[in-house]
Amino acid sequence: MNKTSIRVVFTAAIVAGSIFSTGAVFGETKNFLLFAETGNVVVSGAGGATIPAWGYSDVAGQAKFPGPQLEVTEGDTVNITLINYHNRNHNLVVQGLSDSNQTAVQPSQAYTYSFTADRAGTFLYKDTLNSNINRSMGMYGAFIVRPADGTKTVYHQYYDKENVWVVGEMDKSRWNDRAASGQSVNTSVYKPNYFLMNGQGGFSAMHDDAGTTMTGVVGQMALARIVNGGQFSHSLHFHGGHILIVGENGVPLENPRWATTVSVKPNSTKDVIYEMVQPGVFPMHIHTAQMETANGVYLNGVAAMIVIN
Amino acid sequence: MKLITMKKEFIKGFAYRYKFSLVALMVFLLGGGILFGQGGFRFRGGGGGGGGGGTTTTGGGTVVTGVNTYSVNVRNVNKTMSDGANVNFWGFNSEIPGPVIIVGENQRFDLTLQGGMWPHEMSPYQGHTIHLHGLDVPQSEDGVPETGAPVMGDTYTFYTGSGWAGTYAYHCHVHTVKHLEQGMYGMIVVKPVDSAGNTTNEVYSGGPRYDYEEFWTLSTVDPAYHTATGDSTVFADYNPKYYLISGKEGLSQASPAKTLAAAPGKNVIYRLNGMHSVNSTFSVKDASGNAKAFTVYMQAGRKLAQPETVTSLDVAPGQTFDVLLTLPSSSGTLYPQLTYKDLRNNMPYTNGTVYTKVTF
Repeated sequence: MNKTSIRVVFTAAIVAGSIFSTGAVFGETKNFLLFAETGNVVVSGAGGATIPAWGYSDVAGQAKFPGPQLEVTEGDTVNITLINYHNRNHNLVVQGLSDSNQTAVQPSQAYTYSFTADRAGTFLYKDTLNSNINRSMGMYGAFIVRPADGTKTVYHQYYDKENVWVVGEMDKSRWNDRAASGQSVNTSVYKPNYFLMNGQGGFSAMHDDAGTTMTGVVGQMALARIVNGGQFSHSLHFHGGHILIVGENGVPLENPRWATTVSVKPNSTKDVIYEMVQPGVFPMHIHTAQMETANGVYLNGVAAMIVIN
Repeated sequence: MKLITMKKEFIKGFAYRYKFSLVALMVFLLGGGILFGQGGFRFRGGGGGGGGGGTTTTGGGTVVTGVNTYSVNVRNVNKTMSDGANVNFWGFNSEIPGPVIIVGENQRFDLTLQGGMWPHEMSPYQGHTIHLHGLDVPQSEDGVPETGAPVMGDTYTFYTGSGWAGTYAYHCHVHTVKHLEQGMYGMIVVKPVDSAGNTTNEVYSGGPRYDYEEFWTLSTVDPAYHTATGDSTVFADYNPKYYLISGKEGLSQASPAKTLAAAPGKNVIYRLNGMHSVNSTFSVKDASGNAKAFTVYMQAGRKLAQPETVTSLDVAPGQTFDVLLTLPSSSGTLYPQLTYKDLRNNMPYTNGTVYTKVTF
């Protein structure tokens, strides 16, 4: 069966499933169709590179980095069908929501993960197979559960504006180049030289190429949902104002904390709300030496801009 | 107001350190500055400052208080590390870290970076700036070249608000990968002010008081960064070799980075300023390694909703905290320490713990 026919068959199955689903009493049923396949992460500008990668996509033939942003509402029944167009096993787990089902999908097969989005928040979805290699090749993204009451809140905190920042790293020569060409990876050594903000280096991300710029007007509260699919801690510093750290991995902080730097651990999420107290253009950047670079070139690492009018 | 503040600080410091300070007092009377033995209290009453000029005292560098302007230059500093190796740094007023600057709440402060700076890199990373880290300054004072900051000298003005007491940083924001590593960082401390206009030793306005104050700027050193320039691929990886608290190594309990002689039952505030590039954890242990609890009051100059009493505190790069340690009521020794850890697995580095020592 070729890729096109697989896609037709499974898309038909999804549609049929939606039609005949009885639906949950609370919440709706949300269906997603994703593909696992190869692609390239392209870091533009000085120090940049085209990095062979594996990723998720909602459009067959074009792996996306990070994976497509998936959004549901608290209480929804979620069906994510993963069609594997790659030559090795993959899966898709929403950390904190669907951890109990880590079923591997074999090449040219499909599988539907079903679960209930039982709490609102920001979650990481990822491939958990192959000793972190699959995830580090690029297989992760943001899964957002909005509150059932329809309010513009996160963990009970109000906000006006919203950005989703998916961060991570890639060790091009030791991990990506080798795994992509079928060679083994020595997972005990990980020295990433590319540091990504929404799948891009800072030179692109700071120019909003990936929709990363935080914008608003004085007085607004701007939510950043930060999802770290990497293996390194990402310590992100905001200029021009303080942030309120409100939640981690889909769990509200009992006591939200003010800060100007938030540390997002590997394999986790944090939600922060930036208070826009003055007009201006300010950077938001990682505060860790090499992670500010693309293969050593300054400012082509993890960074974004904040524009306040 | 300046003179009153000076006098009060002087008397307080003198009372604590009387027996160590007679020589320092002589220096003050003769030379116009105050040097205290323990804790390195150095006073610049006249404002301005600048010029590396200063003799720094054992256990700490220059502390600036009682003024609302100050000036720094940039100079080479060559440090001999514990293994005998020489590493080149760039220091504000020739100090690593730069001077600690103390400011009251609801105050204006003008921090000048002198022109004619040396050393610095060649284009495109020429010059230096000062970023007032955590102080929420306007774009014009932010010290970021990419958003318009001059790189050949400037005066950075900031205003502190009510409820801002706590610890902040300042650092160069030109090619921060290289320039931070070179030692271009320092600490700004905002303190509550009483009705007479004097700074107080409260953790925050109306909060608990401390008897001793420790300034800890955290940093790590990868010697390869100190010789690399521009967009070298050296900056694609980070391999720290030396681990510092306020510019000093402290590889064992027997050779601590800092020492403090205190009285039992008193409160010590630790002002933690994360200018390092890896993970780290602050803790306080006795000689046998048993952890002693302390209380976290502030992060980034803002009060926690509830103080948190813990036995360890993670300090990530760019974070600042204020924690209070109450010494036991009977005499003894404790080792407040900082353990540097890798960014991937959060595992401590070999020789990555920096010890300090408190006797009481």
